Amino acid sequence: MYLSDLKIGQKAIVLQSPISLPVKLYEMGCMPGEEIELNFSAPFYGPMCFRVQGTSISMRRELAELVPITDPHSKVSNDV
Amino acid sequence: MMSEKKAIRVALVGRPNTGKSSLFNRLTGLNQKVGNYPGVTMEKTMGLSKWAPGILAEVIDLPGIYSLHSSSKDEQVVMDSLLNENSEEKIDVVIGLADGTNLKTCLFVFTQVIDLGIPAVLAVTMIDEMERKGMELQVSKLSESLGVSISLINARTGEGIEGLRANVINSNPSDKAPFFQPGGLHLQWIDKVLQDKKFDLIYKSWLFGLNTPDYNDLINTTGRSVARIRADEAIKRYRIVNQWLREFFITHPGKDRRWTARLDKWIVSPVWGSVILFGLMFLIFQVLFFGSEAPMNFIDDQVANLSNYLTKTLPSGFLTHLLTNGVMPGIAGVLIFIPQIALLFGFIALLEESGYMARVVFIMDRFMRPFGLSGKSVVPMVSGTACAIPAIMSTRNMENSRERWLAIAVTPLITCAARLPVYALIISLVIPDQSFFGMSLRGIVLFSLYLIGFITALLGSALLNKLMPKVKSNPFLLEMPSYRLPQLRNVGIAVINRTKSFVSEAGKIILAISVVLWFFASFGPDKSPDFTKDHVAIPIEDSYIGKMGKAIEPVMKPLGFDWKVSIAVLSSFVAREVFVGTMATLYSVDDDEVSSVREQMAKQKDPKTGEPYFNLAVGISLLLFYAFAMQCMSTYAVVARETRSHKFAAIQFLVLGILAYAAAFFAYSLLA
Repeated sequence: MYLSDLKIGQKAIVLQSPISLPVKLYEMGCMPGEEIELNFSAPFYGPMCFRVQGTSISMRRELAELVPITDPHSKVSNDV
Repeated sequence: MMSEKKAIRVALVGRPNTGKSSLFNRLTGLNQKVGNYPGVTMEKTMGLSKWAPGILAEVIDLPGIYSLHSSSKDEQVVMDSLLNENSEEKIDVVIGLADGTNLKTCLFVFTQVIDLGIPAVLAVTMIDEMERKGMELQVSKLSESLGVSISLINARTGEGIEGLRANVINSNPSDKAPFFQPGGLHLQWIDKVLQDKKFDLIYKSWLFGLNTPDYNDLINTTGRSVARIRADEAIKRYRIVNQWLREFFITHPGKDRRWTARLDKWIVSPVWGSVILFGLMFLIFQVLFFGSEAPMNFIDDQVANLSNYLTKTLPSGFLTHLLTNGVMPGIAGVLIFIPQIALLFGFIALLEESGYMARVVFIMDRFMRPFGLSGKSVVPMVSGTACAIPAIMSTRNMENSRERWLAIAVTPLITCAARLPVYALIISLVIPDQSFFGMSLRGIVLFSLYLIGFITALLGSALLNKLMPKVKSNPFLLEMPSYRLPQLRNVGIAVINRTKSFVSEAGKIILAISVVLWFFASFGPDKSPDFTKDHVAIPIEDSYIGKMGKAIEPVMKPLGFDWKVSIAVLSSFVAREVFVGTMATLYSVDDDEVSSVREQMAKQKDPKTGEPYFNLAVGISLLLFYAFAMQCMSTYAVVARETRSHKFAAIQFLVLGILAYAAAFFAYSLLA
């Protein structure tokens, strides 16, 4: 599962990525082990806005497609 | 500026949207000056003020950042400023900013700052919002853990500012630092940087090494990439910050973002979001276009009155003529833009302050991306339909210098209000008043000219984006701030500062060009005006501009322009609408009424064919020339000022001129 698979309001945990992601992502608070939620996304496959560590971060879809997450339906993320 | 005593240099460092500019305004008042950082088009805002008897403080508002490690050239400015040991620029104290409702990510950057060993204090902002959301921070405990003092600030009311000043004056480097210690694996390259740069602290070397490409190879010998090393640092720092917040901070996540979430449901939805966005852009356009009309006319009239008054009272002579015909039009040319600039910057400040601007970028990103632009360039594009001057100045709010350069480069192509009188005159002259599928043919032509402007601007940007060397640029990661009520104080200060810098900086160039053009229009190689008479002007064809118009006639001939049109095109460099007035002078029309000018122009015959001179070919050629050429000294001045580069402005002027020439040439060859 990747961030881009989330539906609005769904939550999941960010996983360690096997490839190198922009460091700014980490520095803004989006890092492995943190809970992340999809706030909303822009029309026509535009950017997506997530909430993580108390901050709302927007990123383009192709970056969201690279950030691995846990399955939002699994137990880990539902009990938060 | 008096400086019997050296001022303490205080830098504001923090994430965007933490109320940094509000605090800056509180600390400095209106006593601000704007400069530029070397190498980037970013603004450097400083303010000098007296904080206590004998204590002057120079406050520097550094760009908002998410980490001291830079992801772009623009962000590197912060690291460079903090590492600068040059006694003229060394930062004495850092005020770290932290939005109280979003402490975590703010504290992350602040721990980096503390580790540089610079005396620091923390300012926690938005405390009224914290209270409303039921958040509680144990200030003394956090202060003890950080090893620096903390001030709670309400920039809206000024609460806590005095305490912050006192804390800054008494600040020391933290005794709890460092919060992050680079491991043994890295000591080798850190040591190399330490020797090269003579840093006194390991973290400085760490920071400098990781952000200086020269050390990349050496760092890679550790087996870790720079990105990986930086990510590890972020993870470690967040771990400490999270621990502090677990202990010292009470929050109720449910209450947190209710309003913002509710508003966002509408504002970023496809249908309502577009309605709101286009509604707002339409409103901005309307206000810029029509709202500025009355004040602009007022300024125009007042300058004209003053000019008449001076002509009457002063003894006629060279200086009076220079003053009334060279200097006064230049001053008018500067003042006339103030209403539009003030209005546009008021709007932009409101959009930024409220948090809506981030949503504009979010919604429009998808559409502007193919052209190398982001959602932010929507504002200059829309404002450009009124006037390129405020539009180009509005690019200051772009954090990405590459995008800013692109936007500045193409904005003059957007059809501005000054082109309208020229378009109207020529369209009514050469396009028959017919309807075409139920629409007015003239209307269609005018609309097409607007469309041509937009399309060439976007395509031009895409082309330049391809041509420009690829640089390390910010990944598109944008924080969506919570919605906040804009502070009128900040809006007012933004408007005053922008207007001031336009008048003082671009104004100088506009005035100078105006005087030069006055000289060329009033004097000729063989004739000079007789200043002793009432009617001093020499015939325009005898002036330097007239001679130049005749001299370039062979060059302009392929476009279908005779010497008169060439003169009008040349004098249009003052401002495009001057075309109409020059035509009136050249065809000896007594009044400047457009209808009488048009009549005269319609009567002109081509000496060879005997047909009307202004036929479709000449008309379309002229229209296209005005659509593309950067015939506006004020635009040139503002571009030169905003990019800090006359070279940029000159190249732009040249390229757009060539484009205009080529388009007019093809149109004329095709139609004639």
